Amino acid sequence: MSHSLSAEQKAELEAWRTYYPYPIMGLLEALRCVQGWFRCVPPEVEPHLAELFSTSVAHVHEVATFFPFLTRKPAGRHRVGICRGLSCAMAGSKDISRCLEKSLGAREGETSPDGRFSWEEMECLGACDHAPALLVDERLKGKATEEAVAKLAENLK
Amino acid sequence: MKILTRHFDNPKLHELETYRALGGYQGLAKARGMAPQAVQEEVKKSNLRGLGGAGFPVGMKWSTVPPPEKAPERFVVANFDESEPGCFKDRVLGTRAPHQILEGLLIACHAVSARWGFVFIRGEYADQYDILKKAVAEAEAAGLCGDVKVRLMRGAGAYICGLDTALLETMEGKKAWPRQPPPFPTVVGLMGKPTVVNNVETLSMLPHILVNGGQWFADIGAKGDPARRIHPSGGTAVYSVSGDVERPGIYEFAMGTPLRQIIEAAGGVRGGRALKAVIPGGTSTPPLAASEIDVPMDFDSLRGVGSFLGAGGIVVLDETRDMVEVSHNIERFLAHESCGQCTPCREGSEWTTRILERVLEGGGVEPDLANLRRVGENIAGKVICALGDTVGMVVRGYMKKFPEDFAKRLPAKPAEAAR
Repeated sequence: MSHSLSAEQKAELEAWRTYYPYPIMGLLEALRCVQGWFRCVPPEVEPHLAELFSTSVAHVHEVATFFPFLTRKPAGRHRVGICRGLSCAMAGSKDISRCLEKSLGAREGETSPDGRFSWEEMECLGACDHAPALLVDERLKGKATEEAVAKLAENLK
Repeated sequence: MKILTRHFDNPKLHELETYRALGGYQGLAKARGMAPQAVQEEVKKSNLRGLGGAGFPVGMKWSTVPPPEKAPERFVVANFDESEPGCFKDRVLGTRAPHQILEGLLIACHAVSARWGFVFIRGEYADQYDILKKAVAEAEAAGLCGDVKVRLMRGAGAYICGLDTALLETMEGKKAWPRQPPPFPTVVGLMGKPTVVNNVETLSMLPHILVNGGQWFADIGAKGDPARRIHPSGGTAVYSVSGDVERPGIYEFAMGTPLRQIIEAAGGVRGGRALKAVIPGGTSTPPLAASEIDVPMDFDSLRGVGSFLGAGGIVVLDETRDMVEVSHNIERFLAHESCGQCTPCREGSEWTTRILERVLEGGGVEPDLANLRRVGENIAGKVICALGDTVGMVVRGYMKKFPEDFAKRLPAKPAEAAR
């Protein structure tokens, strides 16, 4: 896959640069955009971001490698998370993990061979009232059941 | 007593029209008719304390912002980076009553004469981000934001961003490494400018304080007992109740309500089992034994029993729970979320987790308990933020209150002669 930025993508990054009172404040949202487009933050894009935000490539790289949402290897087109926080662990999140591995055809932290899915055990998702909590593409999907997880692969195109 | 969740049975509360029909934005109108200083005084009178976990008096925090003539540019940040395990009240508040947060943010901006108000929201709350974004658009279209520009920003999955100084670093486009105060953010904050960071629940209280008066709010809350160094905590708190409880969810109660009453409101222990322990404020707060749940839920009463109100994340643990497993889960979380800036925390949280892992797997050795204590004590006070202090405090709390759970997994102490 080519990691060059289209004119629209560059315009979107520029919009984040000017959205806040100081340009550098837009860096994290810009990185989130890049992650969304390429499913990772490719090293080739870092110099563009560095120039856009008037900072060093090292700085961009440092931020891009700090936050778990930003990845080096491409995540799946759909990212699934199962919460392993205390309340969710107590509600059996480990059992759901086993179902996810089977249903999505990938191991924890890895991407399925067709690139459709990746899944992770995540820290508290702020949904302990629906334990064990399921997250799909940053949206909380309520209580994860083995039945729902088994159907995830067909429901997410 | 309900303040924030009073209208939560209304399914359209998130819409501006409904929110206004129920009295929304009257607090803001009232605040804007007052001098900023007068708003601060009213909030001081209310005894409102920071509900994100620290419990710092809000009016006092605001009053440390330098005057506009010294620093014309200043910011207010709504901290919506809820990530403490056991806490989900901010998510519910943001889903059901986004305008309540926004109104609070605008009141805080007026109180400290800020022209920029930010909401920093965790990335995993994409639905709540959309809801809030819509609320901001509605408020802007209705002219409610006045001369304040409101901007949202999403996080990218790091727990430590919930700490004010780490949050500010993140907003500045840096990795989330906490700063060592002083200076405090109210003096040197975002981009070096005075910045007030308040939790979204805290901000949500402001409209009600403005409408009903600080005294009204103070009267609802816990009066305190200065002789026992228990300071007043005004108003209510919204508790997240989860774990082994019949009806997990959010429950709002006046400050000072006994923990027992909150657990009973959530239907008590699930399946009629006996209670073993309760985490009162999120998993970073040490556990209470079943015999301790008559404690009044306010910041200083909980401190008196060796724990914290934190962000009110109550996790109920029944008689079947193993405290080695529980403490391992929490320590593994802390090790994962340690930002890596301070060596004692980065290494110590890992060691603590590994020792507990070994004990869990049946390979524990006699000195493990002493080592767990020692590692924790070698972190506390030697690191920048509270995450490191938590590492030792949490496991010590479980070892102290549930020694039998640890003892049964460890070999008996060798005889003196064998040493």
